[in-house]
Amino acid sequence: MSRRRKRRRSENAVELNLAAMLDMAFQLLTFFILTFRPVPVEGQISLRMPPAQPVTPVRNAVQAGSDAANENPVQGLDSLVISVIPNAAGGISSMAIGEGVVATLTGLNDRLKTVLSDQASPFDQVVIQVGPVLRYDALMGVVDVCTRQRLPTGQKLTKLSFVELPDARTQ
Amino acid sequence: MSGSQYREASAEPNLTPMLDMVFQLVTFFMLVINFKAAQLDMNLKLPVVGSARPVDTKGQQDLLVLNINAFGQLTVYNTPKDVESYIAGEAQSSFLAARQKNPNLQPGDELPTTVVIRADRATPFHLLNRVIKACQEHGFRNFSLKAMNKRAEAES
Repeated sequence: MSRRRKRRRSENAVELNLAAMLDMAFQLLTFFILTFRPVPVEGQISLRMPPAQPVTPVRNAVQAGSDAANENPVQGLDSLVISVIPNAAGGISSMAIGEGVVATLTGLNDRLKTVLSDQASPFDQVVIQVGPVLRYDALMGVVDVCTRQRLPTGQKLTKLSFVELPDARTQ
Repeated sequence: MSGSQYREASAEPNLTPMLDMVFQLVTFFMLVINFKAAQLDMNLKLPVVGSARPVDTKGQQDLLVLNINAFGQLTVYNTPKDVESYIAGEAQSSFLAARQKNPNLQPGDELPTTVVIRADRATPFHLLNRVIKACQEHGFRNFSLKAMNKRAEAES
């Protein structure tokens, strides 16, 4: 009697055919495996780059030397100029801040720190003058040093402009 | 009689655990897939910069990704593009999108889009500068220079 009841229950049970669903799931899995390509994590340096402007902006209605009370000769000069001269291979041959030559990126870092830590420093942006054949990785080394600096206000230096120097080989 | 005999002899494997496992795998791959990676040219060798940090914009910022190879060629979704016309077109779309949010925006004003520059480490400056200048002329001011912060990742 109990055997007969069991058979009746198994005959009434609904059995879903999972094979079709499994086929579809395997197709989806194959698609995702084939299109899967892990992307390495990239970093970035965020900059605000306005178009290059004159280093000494001419202000309206102001004549040179008209302000006798001005004891700061660099007032109005708010761009610090860094020149990067490339070598033939596209690396850095020499660098200069204003007219002072620096040999290495460490030297550039130290010099920038000294200039920008001065509370009287008027600079709020850096103009990088670059030779045309300088490679991007060498340029990024200089940009990296610049963006590590802090202005006297405590803000990070993010305002940079690039100016292309004439090609030394054509001169 | 013969029908019931056949039913008793047939072997029906239980597919439920296998289906569970396959769905788990599908879910995993769906979560890790990144369709944005398609716009990145993975053949470029990015420079290595110690202070380059990944920044999560949480999808709030409009980004214009420019891949520039060592010959200064701009590629978008692995298709070479003319620098001037492509950037002009993107600037126009960015302006129209920005104007929806800020009706006071005028042509020539600063655009809110950030230009993401992915340049090969061997790209000479004069070729890169051509792209940067074109962006600046069309109103882009915010730039993001991509780099790797570990040499091992850059080589891979």
